[in-house]
Amino acid sequence: MKLPLSWIGDYVDIDIPVDEYVSRMVLAGNGVEGVESLGDEISDVVVGRIDSIVKHPNSDHLLICQVDTGERGVRQIVTGAPNVFEGAYVPVAMDGASLPGGKAIKRGKLRGELSEGMLCSGGELNVPDALYPGAGVDGILIFSEPYPLGADVRPILGIDDTVVDFEVLANRPDCLCAWGVARESAAVLGGGKRLRKPEIAVETVGGSIHDYARVDVRDSDLCPRYIACVVDNVRIGPSPMWMRKALNGAGMRSINNIVDITNFIMLETGHPMHAFDLDKVRGRHIIVRRAEPGETLRTLDEKERVLTGGMLVIADAEGATGLAGIMGGEESEITGSTRAILFECAAFDRTSIRLTSRALGMRTESSGRFERGVAQATAREAMLRACQLVNILDAGDVVGGQAGGGDMMIDVYPNPVVQPEIKAGCARIRECIGVDVPDVKMVELLESLKFTVRLENGVLYATPPEFRQDVDQEADLAEEILRLYGYHHLGTTLPVGPSMSGRRSPRMTLLNNVKSQLTAWGVRETLAFSFTSPAQIEKLGLLRGDPRLSPLVIRNPLGEDTSVMRTTLVPAMLAALALNQSRQAQSCALFETGAVFETSREGVARNEEDLPWERQMLCVGIYGPSVDFYEARGLAEALLKSFGILAKVERGADAYYHPGRSARLTVGGQAAARVGEVHPDTAERFGIEGRAYIAEIDLDAVAALTPPPPEIKELPRHPAVTRDVALIMDESVQLGDVRDSIARACGSLLESVELFDVYRAERLGGKKSAAFSLRFRAADRTLTDGEAADIFARMLEVVGAQYNAEIRK
Amino acid sequence: MAMRERIEALCEEAKRAADGVASQAELESLRVQYFGKKGSFTQLSRGLGQMPPGERPQAGQWINAARAAAEEYYDARQAALKRMERDSKLASETIDVTEPRAGRALGSLHPVTIVMNELADLFAGMGYEMVEGPEVEYDRFNFELLNQPKNHPARDAQDTFYIEDNIVLRSHTSPVQARTMIERKPPIRIISAGRVYRADEVDATHSPVFHQMEGLYIDKRVGMSDLNGTLDAFARRLYGPNASTRFRPSFFPFTEPSAEVDLTCPTCGGKGCRVCKGTGWIEMLGSGMVNPKVLDMCGIDSNVYSGFAFGIGMDRVAMLRYGVSDMRWLFEPDARMLAQFR
Repeated sequence: MKLPLSWIGDYVDIDIPVDEYVSRMVLAGNGVEGVESLGDEISDVVVGRIDSIVKHPNSDHLLICQVDTGERGVRQIVTGAPNVFEGAYVPVAMDGASLPGGKAIKRGKLRGELSEGMLCSGGELNVPDALYPGAGVDGILIFSEPYPLGADVRPILGIDDTVVDFEVLANRPDCLCAWGVARESAAVLGGGKRLRKPEIAVETVGGSIHDYARVDVRDSDLCPRYIACVVDNVRIGPSPMWMRKALNGAGMRSINNIVDITNFIMLETGHPMHAFDLDKVRGRHIIVRRAEPGETLRTLDEKERVLTGGMLVIADAEGATGLAGIMGGEESEITGSTRAILFECAAFDRTSIRLTSRALGMRTESSGRFERGVAQATAREAMLRACQLVNILDAGDVVGGQAGGGDMMIDVYPNPVVQPEIKAGCARIRECIGVDVPDVKMVELLESLKFTVRLENGVLYATPPEFRQDVDQEADLAEEILRLYGYHHLGTTLPVGPSMSGRRSPRMTLLNNVKSQLTAWGVRETLAFSFTSPAQIEKLGLLRGDPRLSPLVIRNPLGEDTSVMRTTLVPAMLAALALNQSRQAQSCALFETGAVFETSREGVARNEEDLPWERQMLCVGIYGPSVDFYEARGLAEALLKSFGILAKVERGADAYYHPGRSARLTVGGQAAARVGEVHPDTAERFGIEGRAYIAEIDLDAVAALTPPPPEIKELPRHPAVTRDVALIMDESVQLGDVRDSIARACGSLLESVELFDVYRAERLGGKKSAAFSLRFRAADRTLTDGEAADIFARMLEVVGAQYNAEIRK
Repeated sequence: MAMRERIEALCEEAKRAADGVASQAELESLRVQYFGKKGSFTQLSRGLGQMPPGERPQAGQWINAARAAAEEYYDARQAALKRMERDSKLASETIDVTEPRAGRALGSLHPVTIVMNELADLFAGMGYEMVEGPEVEYDRFNFELLNQPKNHPARDAQDTFYIEDNIVLRSHTSPVQARTMIERKPPIRIISAGRVYRADEVDATHSPVFHQMEGLYIDKRVGMSDLNGTLDAFARRLYGPNASTRFRPSFFPFTEPSAEVDLTCPTCGGKGCRVCKGTGWIEMLGSGMVNPKVLDMCGIDSNVYSGFAFGIGMDRVAMLRYGVSDMRWLFEPDARMLAQFR
């Protein structure tokens, strides 16, 4: 929230440099987003009077003015603005002056005629019409009064202030106003700084408000307090400079004296106000109630609103005339012909305002404040101050109470708020903050924040001031004390509790093991968003009914691209491969680990009340001239093997894989990994050219399947016997199966069997020859050649018959 | 010629012949020629039979001595030749060791992983156990148990993605705290880390997905100075002995008192630079004493126990470390980008 320093300075002395002030406020919890010095970029722009004007001899549109700048003399200045006239008082940028945006003014010749400066428009000085009436004219800004010649124009135009942009914490709505910031400033600066709130006295013209208006609060649960005042004989007009300047500094536009008063009060006291044209309030009857379902209202922004039951409205005898706490209705808007107004200063339920504002997509300065919380107790003071401003600005006649001196306000406040008294042990506070603040110092600090405090036997009984709604427990008092005492007093101790064994989570340990393998193999880690679009998943080409096509949907996504939680890491990986390919990388190897989110498991859909299933997955993507299926499979197999998991290779994986070049790595029927070449259709949809390979590894399965650390076997002491054989068989025979059959047929004396060559040639008649090397060994004795030969021969018989294979001679 | 002369002549001849060869192979054939079964020395020995018996022992000794000397000479000669041959082989095998080759492919860890490992080890060393929790989370754990009831205005500060009324994408790692406090009894000393989600449009400093690490310590008589000391130690271990922290009062619904913690700018050491916008400080993390209301809601008696919590943006730590000025770079899968992180 932006506030001019001069406004805060009206209520508390800030007699230190701005930097220091800001730093002390920040360190006490009053964040500052920025400090802006208005008019800082403007120098040497002074008041001048145009004494004479002649046409420029060499131009149709330029004029030569003789401008009196007082002590600085009469200067000749050439201008192109047609609105100047002799006798006009204007802002003059002198030779050497600077203007906003770093623009420098130098004397020089314009089409042969000397010009010793520049006459300025409102725009060139960053002065809006709302700040200085007439500044918005097309042409040179003409002053409305004959200010002293040669005077600095900045104070005149209201641009001589420093504006501080406060970052008010969510729990401190009381600081969203000049008084609030001044209160904080006084407490933070300390040293006997006193808050100087204005004396508030209101003159009424007598009469009785009850003769003008009636107020009924029907739904006081949503409107705990409603105050109305009436101003008759309204004299709509511009606001004085001091008020325009204050509003402008706070980032608001001056409109007219009545509207400005409501905004000024909001910025000064934190209470949003509204002004109704009383003649347009039908029946002169204010009714605060929930809207009828389907009730309509045309709001000040000229939009027709259809309300739902439950939204709080300010209605009159005939219907809604304002959306409570959010925006007034067009019907009762203040206009130039308004004769009497009703001021509203109320408190509304913050949840109700929040929900209505969300539902209608209307966020206003007022709704934002009500959502964060506006104190009920201080509303009356705000209303009084508004009426006082009506007096000061002579904007109308404040109507009084009854002849007998009754209340000039209608104040509906059935259940006044009672501030809690908080009991807190000083010792416990010291323990919590770990700083040795004496009891009496605590009292002093709380009192500087306007708490009412009693200290009895080391126990504080503190009642927060009526504008504070965020303090209700000991810890809150501790924070107030500490932030004023200074966080820099905090000691640096380490907890003295029992020593505990720290460690990484099992999941992180697993992930790190996986990642260190992969990086050692030359694969790079990437990260992608956890959300994606349904279209991106569909690009994979999954079969209809695949659960991955039913992702978890985000209700309020940022956009279609990020509208669902991903069910697979593959699309992001394919997109990453395509990106690298499009950037001329000849080869690429990437991996990502992350959760995928499943809405069903084993055919059972998730209950809407339950969380989805999260599965930790690893996806590796590779392409390049030297990459083939076996490399991708080898990577997945090696990774599983590094955890002690020996998987079976089974043909075929998902639809986005090449049907003839993909496999599942299974353990006991459960697929721990899928690997293969990307299906060319899928690759094409992701913009990948040529062959690319993907491996997906289910890390939850890896965690579950990882056996305990193995018992290490003694190294063999007896020699081995080796036998090689080449078998010729049909191309369709799967060599993995043959290898398994050999192992089975040989039994326990076979130590290892390895495929060492596959040979294809025309003379084999479309068959292939596979050469295996077998090694036999007995653990307890030296195996004889004869024994090995027997086993080998039996194996050849069995395997030869099984695969219709013959021995290659 | 007398026997003795003949023997000496043969010995000399054998030595000269050895001097004349250039390879071990040639030397080997000379060996056969002189010392083999039909070699010259053997022949000489055989000739002993024709000598008078009285002279034989003497002559025999001469022959043996000469033969031993010659053979010794040959061994030395062979060693020399072997050395020469190996040297010339090595010389012939010289390659251009500077010849550029592709070399082994290098992998790389993502910077967030690097930072997460470092922080996890650092806090593990301080006795913190890492605990995991789901990324899609109940509103109850993400908000309600952390003192943010439905429609609490503070929820606006973290624009949250909703799945259902009661299910959100976790907007911080704090729900793991709530789950842990409900499950365990103090003392509790945990960290949790991982992806978190907020409905922020992507720009140089925002991402709807980012990474947090959260710490929680609960025990009897834990004070805010303990939090200060812990984070100070953390900062010094991460950024060196000259790093220090600064606490600023702040507001989080789940801590009271709360503090925003700034770190001396690691780029300029606190003098003020572009990275810290001239302030000398970098906003690093949020922290505070666990709000007693949170303790009570999670079943821990706030009259007996107190604790502190802190949350670190790991993406931010990574960006600072690698001088990354745009957060989008962290989600860029271009290998040329990834290759730069170590």
